[in-house]
Amino acid sequence: MNKIIEKEEIVGARIAKLDAPEKVTGRTRYINDMVLPRMLYAKIFRTDRVHAKILKIDVSKAEALPGVHAVITAADTPDGKIGVIKDNPPLKGDKVRCIRDELAAIAADTEEICDAALRLVEVEYEDLEPVFTCEDALKPGAPVIDEERPDNIAMGQNFSHGDISEGEKASDHIVEGAYNVHYVTHCNMGTSCCIADISASGKVTLYSQSQYPYIMKMDLAPALDIHPGDLRIVQPPVGGAFGSKLDVYPNEPICILLAKKTRRPVKLTYSREEEFIVSPTRQPVEFKIRAGMTSDGIFTFREVDSFLNNGGYTSWGATTPYVTMRTCTSHYVVPHVSYSARAVYTNNPFAGSFRGYGNVQATWCVEIHVDKMAEVANLDPIEIRLRNANEPNSITPQGSDLGCIDLVGCINIAAEKSGFLEKWKTNRATWDDGERYKRGIGIATSLHNAGGAKIHKSDGCGTILTMDDYARVTVMTGASDIGQGSDTVIAQIVAQELGVPIRDITIINNDTALGPWDVGVHASRTTYIAGNSAKRAAIDARGQLLSAAEKQSNVTADLLDLRGGYVVQADNGEVVIEIAKLLRQIHFAGEDSTLVMATDYYEPPTEPEDKDHMGDMSAAYSHAAHVAEIVVDTLTGEIRIEKIWSVQDVGKIINLNGLEGQIEGGIAMGIGFGLHENMQIEEGIVKNPSFRDYHLVTAPEMPPIDMTFIETDDHEGPEGAKGIAELPTIVIAPAIGNAFFNATGVWIDHPPLTPEKVARAIWERDNPNLAAE
Amino acid sequence: MTLPQNQSPAEFEYYVNATSIEEACRALGDGVGTILAGGSDLWVQKDEGVKIFGPRLINISRVDELAEISIGNDHVRLGARVTMTDILNHGELGNIAPGLLEAANRFASPQIRNVATVGGNFANASPAADSVIPLICLDAEIELARLDGNAVAIRSIPSADFFTGPGKTVRTDDELITAISFKPRDGKSLARFFKSGPRPALEISIVSLGIAADILDGKLSNVRIALGAVAPIPFRARKTEALIEGQKIDDKLIHAALECLVSEISPIGDVRGSKWYRQHLARTYLQEALTDVA
Ligand SMILES: Cc1cc2nc3c(=O)[nH]c(=O)nc-3n(C[C@H](O)[C@H](O)[C@H](O)COP(=O)(O)OP(=O)(O)OC[C@H]3O[C@@H](n4cnc5c(N)ncnc54)[C@H](O)[C@@H]3O)c2cc1C
Repeated sequence: MNKIIEKEEIVGARIAKLDAPEKVTGRTRYINDMVLPRMLYAKIFRTDRVHAKILKIDVSKAEALPGVHAVITAADTPDGKIGVIKDNPPLKGDKVRCIRDELAAIAADTEEICDAALRLVEVEYEDLEPVFTCEDALKPGAPVIDEERPDNIAMGQNFSHGDISEGEKASDHIVEGAYNVHYVTHCNMGTSCCIADISASGKVTLYSQSQYPYIMKMDLAPALDIHPGDLRIVQPPVGGAFGSKLDVYPNEPICILLAKKTRRPVKLTYSREEEFIVSPTRQPVEFKIRAGMTSDGIFTFREVDSFLNNGGYTSWGATTPYVTMRTCTSHYVVPHVSYSARAVYTNNPFAGSFRGYGNVQATWCVEIHVDKMAEVANLDPIEIRLRNANEPNSITPQGSDLGCIDLVGCINIAAEKSGFLEKWKTNRATWDDGERYKRGIGIATSLHNAGGAKIHKSDGCGTILTMDDYARVTVMTGASDIGQGSDTVIAQIVAQELGVPIRDITIINNDTALGPWDVGVHASRTTYIAGNSAKRAAIDARGQLLSAAEKQSNVTADLLDLRGGYVVQADNGEVVIEIAKLLRQIHFAGEDSTLVMATDYYEPPTEPEDKDHMGDMSAAYSHAAHVAEIVVDTLTGEIRIEKIWSVQDVGKIINLNGLEGQIEGGIAMGIGFGLHENMQIEEGIVKNPSFRDYHLVTAPEMPPIDMTFIETDDHEGPEGAKGIAELPTIVIAPAIGNAFFNATGVWIDHPPLTPEKVARAIWERDNPNLAAE
Repeated sequence: MTLPQNQSPAEFEYYVNATSIEEACRALGDGVGTILAGGSDLWVQKDEGVKIFGPRLINISRVDELAEISIGNDHVRLGARVTMTDILNHGELGNIAPGLLEAANRFASPQIRNVATVGGNFANASPAADSVIPLICLDAEIELARLDGNAVAIRSIPSADFFTGPGKTVRTDDELITAISFKPRDGKSLARFFKSGPRPALEISIVSLGIAADILDGKLSNVRIALGAVAPIPFRARKTEALIEGQKIDDKLIHAALECLVSEISPIGDVRGSKWYRQHLARTYLQEALTDVA
């Protein structure tokens, strides 16, 4: 009898990331490690002003320095601008709008020569009156930042559903609040870097850390005055991106322009300090919220007005209201809602997209406010959430079908596992006991898109799959892996369909000249969208294999299966033929010779929002609940997190390792946002551009995390999976904020809860007549 | 504010890998050398453009005499090249100088502790230097060596007189710090060190406070209180020391001591903390130390 092969479940297993061995042994060649023959190095001359007219830029001395090959300024560059509303010239010639503005760039034999040349650039300015807050920038007669938008408004969104005055009438309580979310930044371990290389025929290859290589071509081309088709984006392994590489920033066109001018490859790398000052931040937001409820704590209306400090130029930060809006209008059932956002130009640094994309901000505002409402309604935080929780398959005010969600399950499991209610009650009883250390427990939940987000006309991803004579599979996917582990997930899905070992799969995803189109890595979409596309291509290839096998054997295709590198009989696992052998047979079959190849383009069944912000832009939605238990030192203000419980609807687990890694990493980032990380920007200047004074969470402070995964089995997602990557970053901070209230009876409305802020809040409560100066 | 514009790579002309105190002093003789110990301040400051190397870089990492910890009956001597890890790993120092052990424990991270030397911590003269605080509380003396003619001459400076400003000390350019030494307190004594920061590692002190005293019948004597990051140099709170000296520690005295401490220090506010928070932390640490004695 032939060999028998059992079916192996690769999907759902615990699989080490495919790139892990390279990374842990230090072999990964990041873009920062790359050197091309004849390569030059570049650096950017940046302004030290925040708002000034540029009278003169003199680069003649820099140009004359031996070893310098080119110096460029706005005078040498095409007029095209970059950014979401095309308001950012890569090199500034007329005026300076914020601290990091690029005025000139140098290509030289070494970075040290670049540094020396930077010191020789001379600029004359006429300082202009600066403006730093939304409030000041909106005052009549305020200084104008971008002459094309004299009202200083870069972008705005309004949405309403129902009738707020009806909601007010139905309310027994109305609770108001204001929450200001601060500046934080991505802190990628690999600093920003790109290498431009131009062929003799004028085609550009850009080695880039981009998260959206295909659309990037279109965004870059105008600033270079070239055809987008002449751009090829290659992505070597990326040392972190988290949303920071979802737009074109000036370093990329500048690098290409220098390569063009010098006819040599040029590499441009940021120092860590530059990374802090120059790379985009998370969008800071000032929220004002009014929300009503009945005496039973049933929500009646919610009104949110927000202002976004846009900084000097417009990147994706200004578009985060598209996601913020969903949480403000649709997280919990609220019959009457209104939402407005204004992104206002100032002379501050500008914001881009950042894991959570507006939802970190929105969830802080909504979830702290829900706990405040619970206090007013005399309900506990669990009860108020359960009473207002979204139900499966409900339609949100914006017209999104929430599908197979389980918010109630998330809340109940988190409450039960953490012993929430008992601790919550005990802690409150200790507010006035005079003890220095206080325990607190808090919960927060959030709603996020988990099946892509159709912000462009297509939210699709393509796959090209081929099999060679040895049954090795090459999957060319449009989806970038910026470290999140999507390569591994795609390989698992393909391995499962094709019955080959995971190590026999090679994922190619780093070259726009090879891979088919994809929107980019954002919106927790890659597993869902690229996973679906890869699955469909694999199903196609599987069909090709099985019909070939049918011809070779006398068993019909539907009775065959692919397992462990073999075609087997589905019922008993008996081997029919080795897949590699089958492939060779059909490959070398005279006139009938063929290869197994499959292509797919998956477009999720979603729609972009219309001008009134109606539309179901994601194919799936998901919730998570986090409970945090903390200890507060009421004197030093230090907060220690004892334990976190995380419950998340993941649709279906594909890679347990990857899933846990995303939850842990997301929570570390969320704790940083909630407790420590704070870009201190004073009068437009970043005061703490170093890891010494910008505090990331380090390993010793990471608390144990108890994770529960709810598998709702999404009908559209690959294997039932949903996108999972952003929620963990979104939910944890307000859980900590609410735990702080439970510990002390004091609200802190504006994150982060730094030791000083905490100590001061408690001191001011205890010494009302001695307010801290 | 401008972005870092690194120096050119040719910062020094000669490199001396000294193997003895004499050799190091000889290389320093004309006062234009830069001493390299663990490098945990030096390299960072060089990259930031804060420090410019002299023409001669003198590495003292191979000077074994500087790495010794010797413990006599009434004398403890730490060679300048003793690292924070050496302090932590030393079996006896913890009992003799618990405040120093705690400071080494809260110092940077294991990687930095492995290279950061006590001599470098003193020479760098940061107002936030951690190992300095408990050593001031022990009335430590700084030993400085220089070449006098052909022989090495040593002088000793009380730690409280050593610092003259941020990054500035009484050390002359031709002098090498060879050791920090102190008399261990005998009998029952108090020795504590407090440092701000929720992160157990890699936290520059917003405020640090060290206290040492002899305890007899609920009273403290020979009180030393030193604070980091509240003044341009490590600060001795002499008024507060005097107030506590010989008194019974009770609530009333603690209250008076805290008031006195807050009025005695006048820290600045910066990115790490406001003036109020620095005073508040100082008060909190002293309160904790005294309450635990009472
Ligand atoms: C990430 C990081 C975290 C840190 N955390 C802390 C912390 O928590 N607490 C703290 O106090 N410090 C901290 N520091 C600062 C630094 O580690 C300490 O000041 C350390 O003690 C310096 O010792 P070193 O041997 O590395 O000195 P080096 O960098 O080698 O030298 C420092 C200075 O002292 C001079 N010098 C060194 N040895 C002698 C000598 N024997 N005689 C005369 N001059 C000498 C050098 O010329 C130089 O000017 C940190 C630094 C880093 C990079």
